[in-house]
Amino acid sequence: MDNIAGTKSSLSWAVNLSVIFLVVLWLVPTLGLLVSSFRDRDQISASGWWLSPFAVEQNFQASLPAGEARRDGDFFVIEGNLFSGGEGEILRFGGTRSNPTAFAPGETGDLRRDRSLTVEANGDFIYRTPSEISRDPNVYYATATPPDFSLDNYQTILFSNNMDVAFINTLTVTIPATIIPILIAAFAAYALAWMDFAGRGFLIAMVVGLLVVPLQLALVPLLQLHNKVGIGQSFLGIWMAHTGFGLPLAIYLLRNYMVGLPRDIIESAKVDGATDFQVFTKIVLPLSFPALASFAIFQFLWTWNDLLVAKVFLPSNSESWVMTVKIADDLLGSRGGDWGILASAAFISIAVPLIVFFTMQRYLVRGLLAGSVK
Amino acid sequence: MKARFYAGAAVIGLCAGMAQADGHQPFAVGEGPLNWDSYNEFAEKYDLSGQTVEITGPWTGDEKAKVDIAFSYFTSATGATVNYSGSDSFEQDIVISARSGSAPNIAVFPQPGLAADMASQGLLTPLAEGTADWVRENYAAGQSWVDLGTYADQNGEDQMFGIFYRVDVKSLVWYSPIAFDELGYDIPETMEELKELTDLMVEDGETPWCIGLGSGAATGWPATDWVEEMMLRTQPPEAYDAWVANEMKFDDPAVVAAIEEFGAFARNDDYVDGGASAVANTDFRDSPAGLFAIPPACYMHRQASFIPAFFPEDVVVGEDVDFFYFPAYESKDLGKPVLGAGTVLAITDPSDAASAFIEWMKTPIAHELWMAQGGFLTAHAGVNTEAYLDDNLKAQGDILLNATTFRFDASDLMPGEIGAGAFWTGMVEYATGADAEEVAKGIQDRWDTIQ
Repeated sequence: MDNIAGTKSSLSWAVNLSVIFLVVLWLVPTLGLLVSSFRDRDQISASGWWLSPFAVEQNFQASLPAGEARRDGDFFVIEGNLFSGGEGEILRFGGTRSNPTAFAPGETGDLRRDRSLTVEANGDFIYRTPSEISRDPNVYYATATPPDFSLDNYQTILFSNNMDVAFINTLTVTIPATIIPILIAAFAAYALAWMDFAGRGFLIAMVVGLLVVPLQLALVPLLQLHNKVGIGQSFLGIWMAHTGFGLPLAIYLLRNYMVGLPRDIIESAKVDGATDFQVFTKIVLPLSFPALASFAIFQFLWTWNDLLVAKVFLPSNSESWVMTVKIADDLLGSRGGDWGILASAAFISIAVPLIVFFTMQRYLVRGLLAGSVK
Repeated sequence: MKARFYAGAAVIGLCAGMAQADGHQPFAVGEGPLNWDSYNEFAEKYDLSGQTVEITGPWTGDEKAKVDIAFSYFTSATGATVNYSGSDSFEQDIVISARSGSAPNIAVFPQPGLAADMASQGLLTPLAEGTADWVRENYAAGQSWVDLGTYADQNGEDQMFGIFYRVDVKSLVWYSPIAFDELGYDIPETMEELKELTDLMVEDGETPWCIGLGSGAATGWPATDWVEEMMLRTQPPEAYDAWVANEMKFDDPAVVAAIEEFGAFARNDDYVDGGASAVANTDFRDSPAGLFAIPPACYMHRQASFIPAFFPEDVVVGEDVDFFYFPAYESKDLGKPVLGAGTVLAITDPSDAASAFIEWMKTPIAHELWMAQGGFLTAHAGVNTEAYLDDNLKAQGDILLNATTFRFDASDLMPGEIGAGAFWTGMVEYATGADAEEVAKGIQDRWDTIQ
């Protein structure tokens, strides 16, 4: 009975469960990144992000002010409160770093050399020693620290020097680098799909072959060429580079889509006397909109996230940094140890691609399917 | 909404403006312990108005801010603009830009090995004649700095290509003075004492060392430093040099013994925080955190002078944490060897201003301007050590200037495939239980295949 079309499989709960499981599995790292983006470097290395919503019992060190010692019979005594703000609860305390939680609050702990220390739960302490106090004695205590989140990381990134310039630079790179390849690829795809000329099959095979060439191979020769023709490292250069690197996929995707358009429409247009250019602009282009949009999303995401091509084809001064370079080379700290910054930078830099994706995603699925299934 | 946006933009603009104003030339000419005579002399000698020096290097973030300040005085002395840009992936970027003909005027190499590679391909320009003599006379342990800056050019002739600016001292052990004081431990003066102290800590029920080898794609490099330290402390410096040049094979008993000396610390479950199995898995950036834990997870951490950058933010060097020289064996009579690393400047695209900038590097003031901002050590013997930002840096500078032997990080000098490849992975294998002899043999086999 399970295989009859239109009936619900009795195992659909298993499908649902596995989908939920996979989605959760997929989202956990993102959630961790989001939580980490609100914590600073020390917190991140001290405890896992999954512990961050809870109060954590932590040990602290405090130096008692030797200057406030007073004489009490044979003893020197320091009194006061461990919490400068007066708030908090001592869970345990101790007199040595190696055993910071030796005593419970209210107890009198005997330390080395006849010294003693009493700490109450509210932080009040009495420290007694038979000898004169030459420097601040250290005491240790455990207390629960409430969860602590801050927007500091976001602030560091959003308000860092030249971040606005970097944002504009990224847009300057991304928008032309998305539009130019689409324009060229649409023309090329139409020609490869609907115009009859010698060597067409060979050209298509070439384009498919180019898909598997890694772009890293072309970096040095391409930059050499740019230097020779006088473009050098500039925005014009990076547009051309992105265009070149994006074209094989664009042509392949768009050709496969256009080839699938109904032959009758195009032939009847030709019978009516339409030129190839008219067929292209009036019929094929409007019909290919889903494919164009889906490729635009791809190319936009890829150029937005790109670090390598930007580092090679743009000048290295800070005025021409794009956001990825700015984040990687300037904000992550000199040895890449600022995990909190990395996490929040990730969320800031995906904001724009997310907007682009959600406004255009309904074309994405349609476009992709249409291109691949004839 | 729009008004708020403009207000936001104005705030951003203001912040940007203020940050720049703050970052500009904090040292007034003629004031403080800095050698302003050398500045004025240089300013009189050179007028490069309108010219530009493009420099790229590995310093980013905070370090870039300090470099920009230090280099801005070259601008005010000569009129030439300095554009420094730092890159996180400098090693790859410089090769691409030099090969494609868009190299900066000067490149700052974190590894002499890479500079030597590029010199042999004819991508570097030799420094002015006499630079070698100058370095020999004016740097502490001068000859070793000349050797480190001299590479074969594309014709196989040795020339001086690089001058060192900024040195890291590696032979340091970081510890918590408070914890040492409470438990009554003394700073060890010799390796024998250090081993006794280690055992004493274990007897007291404590864990002496924090060791972490993790570093992303470079995992294993902290262990190469350990082995190099042990080489310098068990073998004469000549043997170390022979090892670097592979005249002494990697599986030589002397090298294997040095690896096993490292293993004596790192492969003893009682000695290392988390046990020996944790060594290879702990990130080197996280490993010093054990010093500051309460109760301490460990009491000592051997790492280079840059490591305070990874200490928790509220830690004060000198109070919460301090360092001592990683001692040498008293019984071996090898003096006080110091292991270090450094960055070397070389000309990738010659110009008058670039040559003048290399001359600037010879003035004490060029070094002092960064010393005074912290995070910088120099081997330039002509600087006023009073210029160091604090006593800790001064003490590290003294370790450097008093070294009987200074040797550069061997893994940075070996061919990239070994020093930034087989040596790293071999050390990870060793730390996770492989036999020292087999590991050394594996590295030597790799070396044989590239010769």
